[in-house]
Amino acid sequence: MLGSKTGSKTLGSDSKTDNIDNIDHIESQDQQIVLASDGPFEAPAQTFVPGPYYAAVEEVMEDMAATEADVAGDYADLRHQSFPLDRRDFLKLFSLSALAGSVKACVPRPVEHMLPYVDQPVDTVPGIAKHYATTCGECAASCGVQVKTKDGRPIKLEGLSAHPVNKGALCATGQASIQGLYHPQRLKHPMMSVGARVLEASWEDIWQRLGDACKQTTKIGILTRGVTGSVRGFYKAFLEGLGSSAENVYFVDSRSLYATVDKAHHLAFGRTGIPRTVLSKAEMILGVSSDFFETGLSPIFDSKNFSRGIGYKNQGGKSLKGRFIQCESVMSITGAKADKRHSIPVGSELPFLVLILSHLLSRSSQLKASSSDISKARGVLAVFKDQLKGYRTLFTSLDSGYFDKLVGELLARPAVIMAGGVATCTQDATRIQLLAVVCNVLIGAYESILFTSESWMLNPLESFAKSSSGVENSTEQGQQQQQQKQQEIMSSDMMRFFGKASELDILLVIDCDPVQSIPRSFDVSGVLSDIETVISIQSFPRMVDTYADYVLPMHHYLESWGDSEAYAGFIGMRQPSVRPLYGSFQAEDMLLWISAAAGRSMGYESYRVYLFEQWKKIYDKLNIADVSFSLFIQNNLRKGFFGVPGKRNKAALMDVASYFSSSGGSGSMNSAGINSWSDVSGGSLKLIAPLDAKLADGRHGHLPILQEVGDAMSTVCWDSFAAMSPYTCRKLGVKRNDVIRIRGKNGGAIEVAVFPMPGVAHDAVVVSQGRGIDDERNTIAHGVGVNPLDVVSKEWDPLSYQMVTSAVDVKVEPTGKRYRLAAMQKHNDIANRSDVYRKVGFSELEHKIEKRRGHTPKNLDDVPDLYPSLDKPETYMHKQDNSSKPGGVEPRHLDYRWGMSIDLDRCTGCGACMVACSLENNVAQVGRDQVNLGREMFWIRLDRYFDGAVDEPGVSFQPVMCQQCNHAPCEAVCPVFATTHDPEGINAMTYNRCVGTRYCANACPYKVRRFNWWTHSFGKVGKRLQDRTPRALNPDVTVRTRGVMEKCNFCVGRIRDAKHRLQRVNVEKHMDNHRIPSDWIKTACQETCPSDAISFGNLKEPGSLVTRLRRDERAYLMLGGDPDHKHYGIKTLPNVSYLAEVVAEDLTDGHTSKGEPSGSDHG
Amino acid sequence: MVRCNKGRSFRRRSFFYMVVCGFGVVLSISSQAYGWWMWTPGDTVDDSTQNTLVAGYMPDQPVPFSHKLHAGDRQISCEYCHSGARRSASAVVPDLATCMGCHQVVAIDKEPIKLITEKYRKNEPLQWVKVNDLPDHVRFSHQPHVLAGVSCESCHGEVKEMEKVSQWAPLQMGWCIGCHKENNASISCQSCHY
Repeated sequence: MLGSKTGSKTLGSDSKTDNIDNIDHIESQDQQIVLASDGPFEAPAQTFVPGPYYAAVEEVMEDMAATEADVAGDYADLRHQSFPLDRRDFLKLFSLSALAGSVKACVPRPVEHMLPYVDQPVDTVPGIAKHYATTCGECAASCGVQVKTKDGRPIKLEGLSAHPVNKGALCATGQASIQGLYHPQRLKHPMMSVGARVLEASWEDIWQRLGDACKQTTKIGILTRGVTGSVRGFYKAFLEGLGSSAENVYFVDSRSLYATVDKAHHLAFGRTGIPRTVLSKAEMILGVSSDFFETGLSPIFDSKNFSRGIGYKNQGGKSLKGRFIQCESVMSITGAKADKRHSIPVGSELPFLVLILSHLLSRSSQLKASSSDISKARGVLAVFKDQLKGYRTLFTSLDSGYFDKLVGELLARPAVIMAGGVATCTQDATRIQLLAVVCNVLIGAYESILFTSESWMLNPLESFAKSSSGVENSTEQGQQQQQQKQQEIMSSDMMRFFGKASELDILLVIDCDPVQSIPRSFDVSGVLSDIETVISIQSFPRMVDTYADYVLPMHHYLESWGDSEAYAGFIGMRQPSVRPLYGSFQAEDMLLWISAAAGRSMGYESYRVYLFEQWKKIYDKLNIADVSFSLFIQNNLRKGFFGVPGKRNKAALMDVASYFSSSGGSGSMNSAGINSWSDVSGGSLKLIAPLDAKLADGRHGHLPILQEVGDAMSTVCWDSFAAMSPYTCRKLGVKRNDVIRIRGKNGGAIEVAVFPMPGVAHDAVVVSQGRGIDDERNTIAHGVGVNPLDVVSKEWDPLSYQMVTSAVDVKVEPTGKRYRLAAMQKHNDIANRSDVYRKVGFSELEHKIEKRRGHTPKNLDDVPDLYPSLDKPETYMHKQDNSSKPGGVEPRHLDYRWGMSIDLDRCTGCGACMVACSLENNVAQVGRDQVNLGREMFWIRLDRYFDGAVDEPGVSFQPVMCQQCNHAPCEAVCPVFATTHDPEGINAMTYNRCVGTRYCANACPYKVRRFNWWTHSFGKVGKRLQDRTPRALNPDVTVRTRGVMEKCNFCVGRIRDAKHRLQRVNVEKHMDNHRIPSDWIKTACQETCPSDAISFGNLKEPGSLVTRLRRDERAYLMLGGDPDHKHYGIKTLPNVSYLAEVVAEDLTDGHTSKGEPSGSDHG
Repeated sequence: MVRCNKGRSFRRRSFFYMVVCGFGVVLSISSQAYGWWMWTPGDTVDDSTQNTLVAGYMPDQPVPFSHKLHAGDRQISCEYCHSGARRSASAVVPDLATCMGCHQVVAIDKEPIKLITEKYRKNEPLQWVKVNDLPDHVRFSHQPHVLAGVSCESCHGEVKEMEKVSQWAPLQMGWCIGCHKENNASISCQSCHY
């Protein structure tokens, strides 16, 4: 009602006032009609204040809105997809099919069979899930994974709750990796190219041929992605066994941050190792294009710690909140989470850090570093003394006073500077890290937040070519120069690969796809073509297979043995949780057999034996005599990890000024490299091609759920898009869905649709990697989007020799074409209501809490009923005297009322909940066309709202699932009682009763009900094959068919499992517990949430977390109005409550603080 | 009505009737057609005597296993073989190893025992026909029923007296709900449908 009236208006338009009048008019009319008979209706809101939020930039920039002609063009592709038959054909076909149907319908239902075990394993009971601990193999962060298997097949992955890295959480990619296991397009047979043909080969033949090939040469190499753990040594031993050298192992990965951070620390401290970043110990974070929430070094570890350290908390009546300031030129979800985010020009991260450094050094008395460190930092600053002035002009919105204030904050409390990420892969990438290291030394972040001497992180891209003598403690100048020389020769694996690999005779490409993830200008295909025998060992078809002579199927990580050492001394163990599904083998086993076939057997029966030998070595070092090795392994495999933290001495900062001298010839080192407005209007922009937060470099492109969840900031799924500042779009004369052509200096060009993204730097055009896979065997990713690396030239970062994918000069021109991006969030979602998303100022909140002290806490459930004669929901829930009623009315459960609380201050918008929910509840993926029709099926969605200036917007994420209303509008309209109210507060949906009227979806004010427009087939998304084979589904949740409504049910299956568990405990232990302990049930979204934003539990239990959070001062109900002012919104009384996001009005106010909050008067 | 051309008018009228009849036919079978379109494994059509989901359904099994002999005469407890009933959703059809536990020595000369011995030796599972089958949209678990003290017989009938097992209870929702109401168990839809 309100939405449709106000929604069409834009913020700040002139007609706002009479719009408000209209509403008042309507409301007062309604009011008069209703008030005549009904008391409890609240008085209408006195003034209607338009909400500050906008879901799309078109709401605030009217000229960016699509014209009618544009819209007609957008829907053109749908029009020819309309029903393909005319009326007559339809009738003919319909009667034919009806006849056929009537014949078919006479056939009785097929007989079902049961196949028991021949010999049932002792610890297995059909129907009871078994859990295995293993380690995620999707990225080098190596989170612990608990694999839930039922009847021998994995059905869901969760984080290992005891694992120190991810503490029970799992990211979207980790959750989705189970789809890769069952993927129907996984490689199933070894393939061999003979001439121009690719033939299926037998394994014996393959070993024979590869063995012969290895006998003839010693020029053998391995190309693989960044890995840690025993496999590194295994590769080395394999190559050395065949007479090759360990230097021929090339670790090449698009996640170059590992390499740049490691390199910077190598240069700064003379030893390798990435600091373990414990953000929970920080109270102030300055992010400089950092992306620690999405594509960083260890996103879950960082998210967990961030929400604990920086997120709002109320401890002992005192409110605490850290600060996170981010400066970036892309719009990342990390930046979206920042308390204050500044948009800075592309490639100005280095100047920004130089300014920070100069301001830090102007406060030398407060610095927390030794005098020698400070003098070395001064040396670094001296390199930039001529450029400082120019640098200041880059940041027009940030004046000197602001920098001073920022630096004051960094020094006043435990603080850390997080620099660089996938958007800073420029020629300065390592220098940015190096400068951040220097600044972090000055603010004393090392060994308080950044740990390099205890359990530091290992670099998965560390090259064997380096003099890997382990710990180098010396700070002598001579050694440094020596290293510098070494570095020139060895550079990185990436560079050596392009320099030397073409000399090889045999190259094994293991579990990586250089053709997709490295820009074409590097000519990977040329290198591969030069090598006589290329062996591609992959679990899924990759583009590199085209250049391979042999394609061998390898295990998914859930089928393999392995380990990883993400942190020094910490071993995450990987064990198979399922028998191999297809005819694949473990990659390392294949290497063993190849070497055996070559007559130089490595002496291991299998990689498992090798692995156990490595673990035995660690066991021996641990010196635990009373535990046998087999028991040790058994216990640790059950746990999933073991180890002793690596320890080493602290290292002092070395002289790093020389690395900043302009020898690298970097264009962005000075302000001349920054594009001006006039360049922008001419179409000269800088391309940033970051890794996609979910698909990475395309490695996860075949997982349909990740394609469907799409990008969090734009909500665009199944496509690439060019994110540009709305002002830049205006300058170039393009709008949303206009196709632009991006031309690179290398002659390449891509065409991609525009998405005007508030907050992107004016001179940036951002196109994520991970799409544009041209491989018909990969139907999920084939033809989805474009690969921005096509326009990237061959450039290196001169210090770490990683490829440059950011700040690439490009020319952008409109093509005049339109292409409809499948964005899940449409316009005007929020309809100017102020009770959808809420932020509360820090001091305002403190004031409110203070005011409430001594009074009764907030009670959201105190909503006057629409019908005063009926009971209030609380009493309704408590009613018990049903047994006496005739006909046995539904017995009311005294014990439970399920509720959920979502902390908007913690939600980072990572999307893990959407993936976890879909996999737990067998939610279908529908593909781009259906999403464009608004038919996505997600039970939980992530709404994203902007507020404030388009240049520097605030960004808010809000997970929305069924709110489980106590006064549910959907229940009232269902003609067949398919959706009813459960006595435990859940709004139940009975699929088999649903006839598909969709009345409920229309009645639902939250738009969370999803209709099955099709029976989503098990194996396809649109025309794309996917993994939804019956065995990949959760057997405990009904698969819905066409014509049925579905929605979130609070994971009722998990609730039921917990009840059964309680019953079993009660019976076995002769107890009489009435309530399930609150930690027994975790919903799928809650369990996987990396920032613990979601709490679930029993609202009837007074002490439970969710009850306390519902009474929190920040709590509000969506569309629940403002009960404090007797405005009850739409009175649906949901069981889901939200906690308002806490914003700091000022940089300094209400800081956590061990001392007193510092003001700007510090310096 | 077009007067000057009777033939045409007649044709029109007959066409009209044809359309009406056609629609009637189409409508009458469309419900079944709808059923066919919507058909998935788990749905039922109850017009056959050999239909599952009907009390009395008594399919042939690969082995003429007699519950009367085992559970009745020999008084082997139900849960000796159906070991999951107390702790799992599934009551569990016993593995061949359970059979072989006795039949390594008992009645080894009988044909069926020879068959299962052969199967066991070859590591081949025995494919039983499901008798008590629920539709796929019902999420039934044995555990809470057994733990609540519901006897096996109350749903499966006097299996002890069945030479060949047949479906005893109708296994329709009304039958479930009746018992749930009597025992004050939950009759929320979500107890079984989710």
